[in-house]
Amino acid sequence: MADALITASGLTRFYDSGELKVAALDGVDLSIERGAYVVLAGRSGSGKTTLLNMLGGLDRPDSGALSIADQDLLSMSATDRAGFRLHHLGFVFQSYNLIRVLSARENVAYVLQLQGMDKKQRFALADQWLAKVELSGFENRRPDQMSGGQQQRVAVARALAANPDLVLADEPTANLDSHTGESLMALMRKLNEEQGTTFVIASHDPAVIASARTLITMQDGQISSVKVM
Amino acid sequence: MDHLSIYLKLGWRNLWLHPMRTILTVAALAIGIAALSFLSAMDDGWMQQIKTNFALTMTGHIQIHAEGFEDSRKLAQRMNAPEQVMNVIADMDGVRAVSQRVRVSGLASSAGANAGALIYGVEPDAEQGVSRLSTFIATGAWLPTGDKRAAVLGDGLADRLSISIGDKLVLMAAVPGGDIASEVFRVRGMIHSGVMDVDDMSVIVPLTSAQHWLSLGHGVTDIVIRADSFEQVSALAGQMKSALAGRGVEVLRWFDIDPMAQQWADFAEAYTWIVLLIVIIVVLAEVLNTMLMSMHERVREFGLMGALGVQPSQIFAMVVWETVILVLIGGVSGFVIGGGLSLFYGERGIDLSQFAIAFSFMYMDPVIHPLLRADSVLRILGASLFGAMIAGLIPAWKAARLEPASALREL
Repeated sequence: MADALITASGLTRFYDSGELKVAALDGVDLSIERGAYVVLAGRSGSGKTTLLNMLGGLDRPDSGALSIADQDLLSMSATDRAGFRLHHLGFVFQSYNLIRVLSARENVAYVLQLQGMDKKQRFALADQWLAKVELSGFENRRPDQMSGGQQQRVAVARALAANPDLVLADEPTANLDSHTGESLMALMRKLNEEQGTTFVIASHDPAVIASARTLITMQDGQISSVKVM
Repeated sequence: MDHLSIYLKLGWRNLWLHPMRTILTVAALAIGIAALSFLSAMDDGWMQQIKTNFALTMTGHIQIHAEGFEDSRKLAQRMNAPEQVMNVIADMDGVRAVSQRVRVSGLASSAGANAGALIYGVEPDAEQGVSRLSTFIATGAWLPTGDKRAAVLGDGLADRLSISIGDKLVLMAAVPGGDIASEVFRVRGMIHSGVMDVDDMSVIVPLTSAQHWLSLGHGVTDIVIRADSFEQVSALAGQMKSALAGRGVEVLRWFDIDPMAQQWADFAEAYTWIVLLIVIIVVLAEVLNTMLMSMHERVREFGLMGALGVQPSQIFAMVVWETVILVLIGGVSGFVIGGGLSLFYGERGIDLSQFAIAFSFMYMDPVIHPLLRADSVLRILGASLFGAMIAGLIPAWKAARLEPASALREL
């Protein structure tokens, strides 16, 4: 596929469980186009988070091949993978997304600083993204001065401010009330449409699943179905 | 530079996430460093006193003898033409004063008692430039110019001889040929230096009288040099050795003359290293515990940073900087307290006169003046930072090695 952002084949990952080896991923083949908005659904233990960690270069498969943005992620060293994440990927986690001692603006600007952007430029860009996620006026607040939903919005702003090829979100609504969760998903979907950024979201939240343009369902470490909505 | 600013910002703010823990750690560090800074200043003050008292009470900074005299102490090994040596050294840079002496062991007798004595023939005026002997006069006066029979002796020796100002004192010693010669002097003064060897053994008479009595001609045993400062002594002695090479003389620095003085210098050096070792241990013990606790609390944060693309080396540097900030606050606070106490007592002195007799063996004054020296200050601060680096390395290494995926799963 000419414009595939992610190409994976035969991804397999075993975990030791006592004397048994459990396949968290079992020969997963996957192709995701640029600009896609994909939701990985499935029960707990189905392999969603493991697959997301593979795609984020946070974990390595025991076998298989994985290419993102035309780069072979599995042949990279840990240092190179960190550099790849910095320049190509954005993350939104279930909780504990932000650095506690930094303000909302500083959290968004942190990745930009690591990328080498100067202070004035990165703070201006951080403020723009905080405005896009409807957090103007919250720039100087620290995580403990914001609600869970506001913290997730800051995480989204951070993920997108660095202009990544791919945003990976793991259960982003799990700790939010339904209204806040829906609002966050609407925001992410809107940003996907406006910015063209690729989103891959792992979740079993019906509201998240309802927002999918492509729904991949996982079961026992394998992809059981792929639906284009 | 930009990365350093984020390390410092994160380090500083992380420390204040748990203010009480940070304050307790900083306070413990400050107290430890303050105590060690003060101890170090006491040590430097003691050593300065010992050096100054040793050199200026009697020995001088440098002595020149006929080769082998210091070992033999025999008058036969004297300098018969000391003016040739004086001409070479007197105008050297760094020489503050020069004086000549005759030094011999002998017997001092009064009307009712005898005692062994160390007899010094000195130039009454020039001697005042190289030693403090004339300032130790407790009773009577220093050797009057032109009084060939004048003698000044230590008050301890005077007690043993039951002798008073104006009394007759007979001195006996072996002349170079081996015969015993005696001479009669009158006691003009008594000194109290606080140094037992000087007060209990010394008799000081005019140089010309000693030369005549001991049949030495113009010969002397010691040429005593006072340098402008202790720091110049070794260089100046080296210069003198070169200039006097082949003339049959030995050039000895103050610590070459008395092995005890060298041992004290070595002891002080060892003590300094012990202090520095304790500084490192204090810093390690205080900081390692705090940093390990902090690191364990922030496993998810390090995982998050790793996921965002922060390099392991950057996480490592961040934790090390956090440790350095902690130690700098504690170390500098401690040093300000310890340095302040050292300066205060450096002016005022610490009176240990109840231990004065014990101290007098070691050329120490009963009042100690702590001395704050730049090199000691730098060494203590350097040791603190070294300890901080060591204490920071373990948690930093652990934090840098965390796998982001597993760190993010930590509760």
